[in-house]
Amino acid sequence: MSKYLTFTDVVFKDRELLVAALEDIGCNQIRQGENLEMGSYYSEQSKQKVAIVIPRDSIGNRYGDIGFERAESGDYIPIIDDLDRSRALNGKFITQLRTAYNERVVKKVAARLRGTIHRTVEGGVVKIKVRY
Amino acid sequence: MPEINFTIDIQTGEMEMKVEGIKGPRCVDVTKIVTELIGAPEREENTNEYFERASVRPKVQNKKNG
Repeated sequence: MSKYLTFTDVVFKDRELLVAALEDIGCNQIRQGENLEMGSYYSEQSKQKVAIVIPRDSIGNRYGDIGFERAESGDYIPIIDDLDRSRALNGKFITQLRTAYNERVVKKVAARLRGTIHRTVEGGVVKIKVRY
Repeated sequence: MPEINFTIDIQTGEMEMKVEGIKGPRCVDVTKIVTELIGAPEREENTNEYFERASVRPKVQNKKNG
C-alpha cells in the first residue's frame, strides 16, 4: 500500500544546509516555501503540507513526492511514501542525505572556526579533521 | 593547535566527533556550534583534557560585600 510516512527520528535543524545536502545527493528540482502541498497520486496518500518538496520521479521516488515538514521546534522532518523507501536512491535516500548533511555541517563548523579541512574515506567511513 | 576529528559512517549517516587540543571545558563552545546544526548527541563523553586546567586562567574579581 502506498502511503506517506513521517520519519520523526530523522531531523535536520538547518534549512540552508539541508537544501545544500539535497543538491549534493542529486536532487536538482527542489521546491521551497511554506505550506507546499505534496502530490497525492494514490488514494492512500494523505494530504501533506511541507516546506520543501522533491518532486516524484526525480531520484527514483516512483510513488510520490518527498517532503520535509517544518516542526514547531524548527526542525525539518522527512516524509516519504512507504514504497519509495526502498526505491529513492536505491533505498539509501535517508542515509545518503544524513551523510551529505553531516559533511555540510563539518564545512560550516570549519568556516566558523576559520579552520582547515582534511578529508579522507577509509572503509566506508568519511574522516574529516578540522584544525583551527 | 586544536583539532576536531569527525567520522561519518556512510552506511548509516551517523557522525561522531572528538575535540582534541583544548584543555578544560572550552571544548564545549565547539560542541555547541555542532549541536546547533545537528541537535543533541545520543552520547557524550568528556576526555581527560576536559578535566585539565587551561594554561590561561580567567581573571576572577572578588565580589565586594555591601
